[in-house]
Amino acid sequence: MPRKTRPVAIVGVGQTRHSSHREDVNQPELVHEAVRLAIDDAGLSLSDIDAVVTGNMEMFEGTHQPDMWQVLGNGAWGKPCLRVSTGGTTGSTVFCAADQLVASGLHDVVLAIGFEKQQEGHTTGGITAMADPLWARHLQTGALTGMAALEVIDEFGLDRARRAAMRYRVIMDQHAAKNPNAHRRFNLSFDMIDDLMQKSPPLVGELRLIHMCSQSDGAGAMIFAAGDRVASLNRRPPVWVQDHVTVHREETLALAGVATYDAQGRLETTTQRRAAEILLARNNIDKPVEEIDVFEMYDPSAWWGLSWIRDFLLLEGDEHLQMVERGDIGIEGRFPINPSGGVTATNPIGATALLRPLEAALQIRGDAGTHQVPRPIRKALASGFGGTLWTVLMLLSKDQPNN
Amino acid sequence: MPPKKLSDELVHREHMARFPQRWSTGPVMGKFLQALRDEKRILANVCPRCGRSQVPPREVCAVCRVEAMQFEEVGPAGTLRSFDVVFYASPDPVTGQSREVPYATAYVELDGSKGGATFWHELHETDMSKLRRGLRVRAVFEEDGKRTGAITDIKYFEIIEGGT
Amino acid sequence: MPPRVAICAVAQTKYVRDRWQDRVQGMCWEVVQQVVRATGIDLAGDDIGAVVSNSDDFFDCRTISDSAITDVVGAHFKCEEKVAQDGAQAVYYGYANVASGSSDVVLVVGHSKESQVGDRNLITHAAFDPFYTRPVGLDYLAAAALQAEAFLRRFGITDADLARLVSQQRGKAARNPLANERNPLSPEAAAVSPMLADPLREAYVYPSSDGAVAMILASEDRARQLTDKPVWITGLGSSIDSFFLGDRDLSESVSLRQAAERAYRMANIPDASAAFDVCELSDPYAHQLPLWAWQLGLTDDPKRWIAGDLSRFNPSGGSLSGTPQVVSGLARTAEAVLQLRNEAGDRQIPSAKRALAHGTTGPAGQQHCVVVLET
Repeated sequence: MPRKTRPVAIVGVGQTRHSSHREDVNQPELVHEAVRLAIDDAGLSLSDIDAVVTGNMEMFEGTHQPDMWQVLGNGAWGKPCLRVSTGGTTGSTVFCAADQLVASGLHDVVLAIGFEKQQEGHTTGGITAMADPLWARHLQTGALTGMAALEVIDEFGLDRARRAAMRYRVIMDQHAAKNPNAHRRFNLSFDMIDDLMQKSPPLVGELRLIHMCSQSDGAGAMIFAAGDRVASLNRRPPVWVQDHVTVHREETLALAGVATYDAQGRLETTTQRRAAEILLARNNIDKPVEEIDVFEMYDPSAWWGLSWIRDFLLLEGDEHLQMVERGDIGIEGRFPINPSGGVTATNPIGATALLRPLEAALQIRGDAGTHQVPRPIRKALASGFGGTLWTVLMLLSKDQPNN
Repeated sequence: MPPKKLSDELVHREHMARFPQRWSTGPVMGKFLQALRDEKRILANVCPRCGRSQVPPREVCAVCRVEAMQFEEVGPAGTLRSFDVVFYASPDPVTGQSREVPYATAYVELDGSKGGATFWHELHETDMSKLRRGLRVRAVFEEDGKRTGAITDIKYFEIIEGGT
Repeated sequence: MPPRVAICAVAQTKYVRDRWQDRVQGMCWEVVQQVVRATGIDLAGDDIGAVVSNSDDFFDCRTISDSAITDVVGAHFKCEEKVAQDGAQAVYYGYANVASGSSDVVLVVGHSKESQVGDRNLITHAAFDPFYTRPVGLDYLAAAALQAEAFLRRFGITDADLARLVSQQRGKAARNPLANERNPLSPEAAAVSPMLADPLREAYVYPSSDGAVAMILASEDRARQLTDKPVWITGLGSSIDSFFLGDRDLSESVSLRQAAERAYRMANIPDASAAFDVCELSDPYAHQLPLWAWQLGLTDDPKRWIAGDLSRFNPSGGSLSGTPQVVSGLARTAEAVLQLRNEAGDRQIPSAKRALAHGTTGPAGQQHCVVVLET
């Protein structure tokens, strides 16, 4: 059972319309849009907010210490305002920090904000600058890599791997079509898979443009409240933060599939699988596919999304491919993944890892509208991705956890 | 005159940010870069606890969280463990210039390195269809007098024809 | 009840203008090793529940600056979160991480290498919005100068007053072996140092600085195992002011008063004026020491305060002696802890029991964080 000084619930959420070009707003205005929606959703006013946690990746917009300017729109004036930033995982780092600020007793009501305005800089160039300047910066191409595809292809053969990845992508697009806030909605269908496999422009190796996440302008905001405040903030049902786990890994991506061991002699694995092992064990979840109702995964590409299903759900062999091939991950399937359309549809990076638990919370509340999973949702999983394949895994619950 | 639409009043401001930067190597990376420049040798450092090689060498072994100050020569030949063929032209943040595509980057397990560590560098090959895991490759150094103590003192890796 | 949270060990590099011999990784590793040794924790094991790092992508010229230091802070296959503001905020978050029950032990590591960037003002210029304030050329130095002008005028504090203050603070830095700028400076020499941004002279502005700070935070049970001299975090307060300088009265600071009030309430301090044996304030610009002292309630007359006995204020020499902007509040906290542990060497304030540490982020002190520490 995870330890927590006091329980914490999500009592309000808001997100902007996401788009490649939100030219109608500047950075603080974009943030404010999400903040206003979250405040209204919770039935609160800004004066009810005790503290703000915010995050983005400042190299994308080229704004140093962006929380300074954003105070014009983020509602933090006169309040404690913490800025955390961990790359792609930023949104989930914001989530974890907001949860901990409330659980610690420091603050009763905390507003968490993730934002990015990718249009205002060069996204791939911005990500490339994460590589070490002495030995890797001249090599990296943002977050674009075909190596994830190479792994799946080596294991399952070229045709099956390509089809599964594209099927995954089509399912995501079908979900995005149901989500009015989603950025990219192409109306893809399964009969287009052969065509897409050949005609979508290649980016890196087997990674094609259609597989890759978008570059979006957008913001998300969530309001966290202490358990004893929830009764008085009951405009919508609370969603409880049951647990979260953060697993980073070393600076290089230099291991070539050779098994290595950590300092305790445990087999090194992916951060996805390690995070899932810790989180699921701590919460007595033996069969995640059966005990969890929906998963909002940070899937930066269809290839990564496809292969991480296996790690996150602690599956073996080709079970994850089968899930995609059978359509289990569809909104009406056995284990819906990303009913929002996920990250291949919508990716304002500093917000992306916050939009995952935000969408998961909407599902638990039954407030996801046209992309609501058509059955009761009691437990939802959400993940963040960033850095050098870092993972944050979050577990939300309709029922108050007894920790 | 029809009334102005909101979008008619939107203005963009273009700005190119540049910051002069200067990087220290530290003793570990410095030893590595100096060996490239002065001796055309690739050095890995070896973790005293788990024995894995790190190339390029870093200050500590991330797994065991101990300093690794013992160095061993690895390469210059090795085995291609993974690779990327890049078609998308993105800017090189070191120079600001757009890169020429396609190019390939390679993760090479250099001969003599232990623990499965690979070294990331450019792979020079005009026929990208040749690339597959397990190929034998070797480092090609910049010629004498032109090496500066930079990672680019290795110009690129190339496929060893007929190599097994 | 949330567990009490203590700082169990602190370490700082010596602050220097140019740590040319190391990457940031080397600086961080140096201080991480020191706190690991001091507490006997096993860096390779599961002792540390989370790492809170503190750095800045712009000053590191590196996107996701914390991805560079994952290895040296021992965060491989572990939780690490980066606070991208002044380091006092990392203490704030580290406290929350422990008090929330998430971790028993948190390692906080901050670093900044200002020598990597050609000109600090180019970096801080980018903190201004691209439409109104960037085109007029603002940076943090210019903002601090506007603030100095407003504050000095309000209280009739003169250039000579500031020169005497700077000289006095430099004398303290000379007793701190970790300080960056330790050369004695007479008031006369300070008063003729080159004008950078009127009324701020070169000697009134902190020198470009490289350095790293680490500390171990722990819950009460663990703290008593890790050290004989835990220093308790008893008060925390933070606040951010409005962005546009014209929206603020630069001769004072609403956000610092709010941060202080919150920290004092948490620590049950009704009157701050005599509450602290030692205060470590982030004063990268000389006029900010009296300004912050006033807004923290340590004096109600900053002009008279300057002329008084300042021995318990920034005995380290303060940020003015040269700590990197990003980790300044973390460095101040570390100095306050050294004082409370009676480990401050030649700069020790005798029998210090309660200390205040302060950090600030943004133009003209837009954001503030106050930490109250007790033995």
